Amino acid sequence: MTDRLTFDQLSALMKSAAGVTVDPKQMAARPDVPFAELGLDSLGLLGIVGELENRFAHPMPEDAERCRSPRDFLDLVNTASPTGA
Amino acid sequence: MSAGERRRCAVTGIGVVAPNGTGTEPFWKATREGISVLDRVTREGCGQLPLKVAGEVRDFDPGGLVEERFLVQTDRFTHFAMAAADLALEDAGLVPDDDRSPFAVGVVTAAGSGGGEFGQRELQHLWGQGPRHVGPYQSIAWFYAASTGQVSIRGGFKGPCGVVASDEAGGLDALAHAARTLARGTDAVVVGAAEAPLAPYSIVCQLGYEDLSLVPDPDRAYRPFTSRACGFVPAEGGAMLVVEEERTARERGAEVRAVIAGHGATFTGASRWAESRAGLARAIEVALAEAECAPEEIDVVFADALGVPAADRAEALALADALGGHAARTPVTAPKTGTGRAYCGAPVLDTAAAVLSLEHGVVPPTPNVVDVCHDLDVVTGWARPAELRTALVLSRGLMGSNAALVLRRADGSPS
Repeated sequence: MTDRLTFDQLSALMKSAAGVTVDPKQMAARPDVPFAELGLDSLGLLGIVGELENRFAHPMPEDAERCRSPRDFLDLVNTASPTGA
Repeated sequence: MSAGERRRCAVTGIGVVAPNGTGTEPFWKATREGISVLDRVTREGCGQLPLKVAGEVRDFDPGGLVEERFLVQTDRFTHFAMAAADLALEDAGLVPDDDRSPFAVGVVTAAGSGGGEFGQRELQHLWGQGPRHVGPYQSIAWFYAASTGQVSIRGGFKGPCGVVASDEAGGLDALAHAARTLARGTDAVVVGAAEAPLAPYSIVCQLGYEDLSLVPDPDRAYRPFTSRACGFVPAEGGAMLVVEEERTARERGAEVRAVIAGHGATFTGASRWAESRAGLARAIEVALAEAECAPEEIDVVFADALGVPAADRAEALALADALGGHAARTPVTAPKTGTGRAYCGAPVLDTAAAVLSLEHGVVPPTPNVVDVCHDLDVVTGWARPAELRTALVLSRGLMGSNAALVLRRADGSPS
């Protein structure tokens, strides 16, 4: 299994970390809609980054918590982080 | 400034989340009937603690009243504040309006302890799993200012906002702060306090208060002004009000339910109950002066009623000092003996009850209190009908704050 973060996983994290419900299919269809518009604030994204770091036991890229949209976030996390290592 | 130009502070909406009811109607019915809801503490993790009796808010479904992201991101004390704010705004008919500037509405709350339950959970993560497991919302959820911030964000209220941290009496100080905010030009303020101090960590913090009643019998645990007084019972919940500049409120067709006419506050030191006599008397005098109210005009007193003999004596004497011979003739009530003291929420609940008393011409009774041992006309047993135009609400905090608030019936104020 690859450890690429998916829209489904991001959606689940948004719900557990920040209580924000977003349909992963809609997020996948419009990945540039900013987190702010989806109802996720900067603390919420910080919580998601922390959760991923705990889960994979290594740090996320430095700018991960500054990503503005799901596309930015997934691109950064999935290219910079060969989490299967 | 002439009286005609004065920007008066009108109460136009009341939202209550109290141990004896969520919503003004159930709250007033239980208050008027003198029903005591003090009961055994049932919150999870509290069973082994020596505090056995409290006023829990039990008929409150946060999931039905507050959006999920606020449930996850904020503490129970903020859930209460949000729900109470919604009720108050609905009562005031202050609905979202594109024509109203978002800067015309502000938010002020008072808080005594912040989000203890949320904080406890995150601190358990800290010590149980490590610092990387503390969620970022901890940074804002347990903080005194959380409810003001979240109510303003949620409602889009961008007017002047503030948080008063001045002990239990801060509930009244917040109302005064809102009145000053209106005087400076804001149209409306959502103001009040709600607390959630009935979680294990929060209760442990309170166990250090020598004034806390550990009596396990709900009918005997909180009996101020009697020879059996043995301290106070804590509670959760509180109230939010909508206050508006009176003329603006009338112009938009709102019903003015009462007017906040005067306020005074003093500080006399933690647990120095004998000294609180002078402090409370001074607060009353300042509030009366601001309201241009003679002592004889006070028709009912909502007492602080701490339930500590020295504090009760000081309050009775303060009333005599400030109101003279009128003190012993004025009905005094403390409905909080039936619900417990919700810290900063307590005097706001008393203010809500006072507005309802003025409207209904009824002084609610003081549950569980009989055989008053002070020279006060404490209303016990049943509600007492009375012609009420002006009410005095008193509050003191365990750390030494004293405050008094004068409320006038909407049509009962001198122009």
